[in-house]
Amino acid sequence: MSRHRACDDFHRTSEAVRRDYLGGPPLTRRQVLAAGLGAGVTLYAAQAMPMPRVLEAAAADAAAAPNAPVLVSVFLPGGMDLLDTLVPMNDYGRYADLHPKLKVQGQVLAGASGLGLHPSLARGVGGGIKGLFERGKIGLLPGIDYANPDLSHFHSRHFWETGLITDRSAPGWLGRWLDRAGNRTNPLQGVSMGWGLSPLMRAGRAPVAAVASPGDAGFWIRDVWDEPFEEAMNAYGRLGHGRSRSRALNASREAARLAKQVADRLEPYRERDGYDPLASSISYPGESDFGQRLRYLAAMISKPLGIRVADVVADGDFDTHDNQAELGGLLIEVSECLSAFQADLEARGLSDRTLTLVWSEFGRRPEENGSGTDHGAGGLAWVMGDRARPGVHSDYPDLRRFDDHDNLQVTIDFRRVYSSLLEQHLGTDADAVIPGSKALGRVSLVK
Amino acid sequence: MAVTETSEASARRRRRRRRRRRGWSEAHVRRLFWRAGFGATPREARHWARRGKARTIRWLLHGGRAPIPRIGPPRVDGRALDPENEWGHDVLWWLDRMVRSPRPLQEKLTLFWHDHFATSEQDTPLMVAQNRMFRRHALGSFPALLRDVTSDPAMLLFLSLADSDKEAPNENYARELMELFTLGRGYTERDIREAARALTGFRADWDTDGPPRTYYDSEGHDGGSKRVLGRRGSFDWQDVLRLSVAHSAHAPFMVEKLWDYFVGAQIARGTRADLARTYRRSGHRIKPVVGRILAHPALYRNLDAPGMVKSPVVLVAGFLRAAGQSIDRDSWAWLLDGMGQYPFHPPSVAGWDWGGAWLSSNAMHVRFEAANYLMETRSLRVPEDATPPGLSPAEAVARARRAVGDPWTSARTDAELLRVARRLLTERKLPEGEWRQPIRQRADMCQRVLRQLLLCGPDAQVH
Repeated sequence: MSRHRACDDFHRTSEAVRRDYLGGPPLTRRQVLAAGLGAGVTLYAAQAMPMPRVLEAAAADAAAAPNAPVLVSVFLPGGMDLLDTLVPMNDYGRYADLHPKLKVQGQVLAGASGLGLHPSLARGVGGGIKGLFERGKIGLLPGIDYANPDLSHFHSRHFWETGLITDRSAPGWLGRWLDRAGNRTNPLQGVSMGWGLSPLMRAGRAPVAAVASPGDAGFWIRDVWDEPFEEAMNAYGRLGHGRSRSRALNASREAARLAKQVADRLEPYRERDGYDPLASSISYPGESDFGQRLRYLAAMISKPLGIRVADVVADGDFDTHDNQAELGGLLIEVSECLSAFQADLEARGLSDRTLTLVWSEFGRRPEENGSGTDHGAGGLAWVMGDRARPGVHSDYPDLRRFDDHDNLQVTIDFRRVYSSLLEQHLGTDADAVIPGSKALGRVSLVK
Repeated sequence: MAVTETSEASARRRRRRRRRRRGWSEAHVRRLFWRAGFGATPREARHWARRGKARTIRWLLHGGRAPIPRIGPPRVDGRALDPENEWGHDVLWWLDRMVRSPRPLQEKLTLFWHDHFATSEQDTPLMVAQNRMFRRHALGSFPALLRDVTSDPAMLLFLSLADSDKEAPNENYARELMELFTLGRGYTERDIREAARALTGFRADWDTDGPPRTYYDSEGHDGGSKRVLGRRGSFDWQDVLRLSVAHSAHAPFMVEKLWDYFVGAQIARGTRADLARTYRRSGHRIKPVVGRILAHPALYRNLDAPGMVKSPVVLVAGFLRAAGQSIDRDSWAWLLDGMGQYPFHPPSVAGWDWGGAWLSSNAMHVRFEAANYLMETRSLRVPEDATPPGLSPAEAVARARRAVGDPWTSARTDAELLRVARRLLTERKLPEGEWRQPIRQRADMCQRVLRQLLLCGPDAQVH
């Protein structure tokens, strides 16, 4: 991974943070990922508790803070185009010059000074994303990125995931928040909805989990039951303890331990006799896996599982180099699924404490290449929820003044958004999670 | 005299064999075969431990006679595979090659190239053709491979090089060529944009019955002057590939990626420079540098504490190879999906995230599940009353170990397995009113439990 030009947060972090989270020489992308076997994996092992106590502790966490705020990250992978998603209707001529083939007729938003959403974003429950904006539940952040943007998917994604502009390996920013504010007992406090753990959620010390389907997290062994099954599962749990000098083996043991804890914690919510304790009253788009993951998440937040942060990745690829005409289809799914999720949270009485941040790793080149757009800067993110401060909270990039690489000017740093959410929604000192956050300033995102 | 000569000759032979085998054991073979392939059967471990390190590596690199496990061809629902029409059969087709190949290293490198030049979501015939191309070049010349990758239909379509035209060059391929395929660092944004111009000229004909047909059309090529990686010229696509491979960042980048794949541990700077020299001097050929990596002592460090996580594909292929089990069901396809590695569908152009990232709590759960499916296979199934009565706990553990191919286990696992066997096989006086399964049933279940734990416990995930 090449050294980032502007600054390296690594050098600005305190010695303690560096010792905790970072280390070694600059890493290649591969090493950054391989380093998931990091320190916390083993530290936790020593403090692991027997299952009944884990359950007690987790129940106590959840009971002690039944109204604790929850932050959800929704990642739209590939780099979503700003111009076609939040269309500058107030400067349509210039926009049409830049996107002669791709241009879309945006639906103008009341209270957004001449900006219009892609028509696909009006799809879904209650008018989709557009409806949510007009009901005052969305704050838009056009032009979001960081100074001197690196146009690599993998570098940019790494920065967004860690909340650090660094080429070093580091736990994710949500994982680091759990290290500070979470507990040492409940892996469901931070949950990635899917087969694997998002780098966002990777923690130094706090246990975290991935859940693909909460109803199927339980264990079984073919043709084994009663006493032998119990002995087997007890043994499996014990195999998850102990320390080795192999980090791979420690990671494997931790995974076994966490898988068993997650299974035990989700056991009460398994479907029985046709009754699904996690069923939703809201209908999600039938074919969408993304919608399914959001549905599972809403249901899990509603149970006393102690979830504090969660992340979901959208389906589809927003890397529209040669097929930006398909953006409309992708945005329909985004709009239908996210509006169903928000409606579900409302129906379950969770919408006043759950805030969702929707983001993509960068924006795209303002001038189209004929059938799509190449990697660029200044993308779009938004914050969604009852507590989201509605409106447009950053300047729309100037369509006549580009940076040295013909890209949009960045108007807000994503780490300013992170810092603001940490303080305004999760109530934590941002500096403890995002090094040097004071210098980034704040933007009011929560009402 | 003749007698003395013979005994001297045989003593010489013995000495030679001892020298060859010094520092070379079945544990070394098992480590090497996991890293360079999909594990060693007990028979392979014995065979290659006798033959020494040099001959073992020579066989991996060049092939030849060897005791590879005999496994039948794949049949799903009683029929041969149909990769183009049946869901998951493309995956099974490749998995079968990994399980049965007489050239495990070639398959392991085919997987490496699929990850390195990750292509996804294209028509199955194109993906299968690309896979064959990777296999053909697996241990060969990198420049030749790179030429075939760049003009490969699946890749041309995946990274938008098809129809990238002089009027509107598409940067997608140029960027990944430098960032992910050849350099990793040492290039600028301008290099990418100028290279994108040089790479123009490929087109796709979408009006076909089957997958789109790709071809080169110099009409669409930008023949103007470009500046790429410090050189100026009216470069075309092959020039850009040559310039990328000749760049000083290429050799260290490539050898480090191969090292990561086989060794896992951080590469020392001197080792990297050495390997880069081997690679350059061989004319950028893969076989010499991989040969040196496989012989490196770092690969054999900590034989009692394996330092790499098995990827899902390696885990499953290794399972089947050890069990001598042919592919007889399509469950493996969705299990691989659930574990996070569905071949022909890498998550992005950067391929999969290897290492600890494979082991989320959820993926570990699916790995447990996969063992359940393996336990249904002929060699691992424990039918009712199949376990001889009266086995001691230690004998029960030994029987389970043999059944799963005698894998490496930690002391912790050994103790835990013995403890389970003791608790299940030992009779004890039951309190009034308490019921316990009869011993024959418990003996079968104990055998199933031991096999299951050997197949899906933490030790089984590392190599």
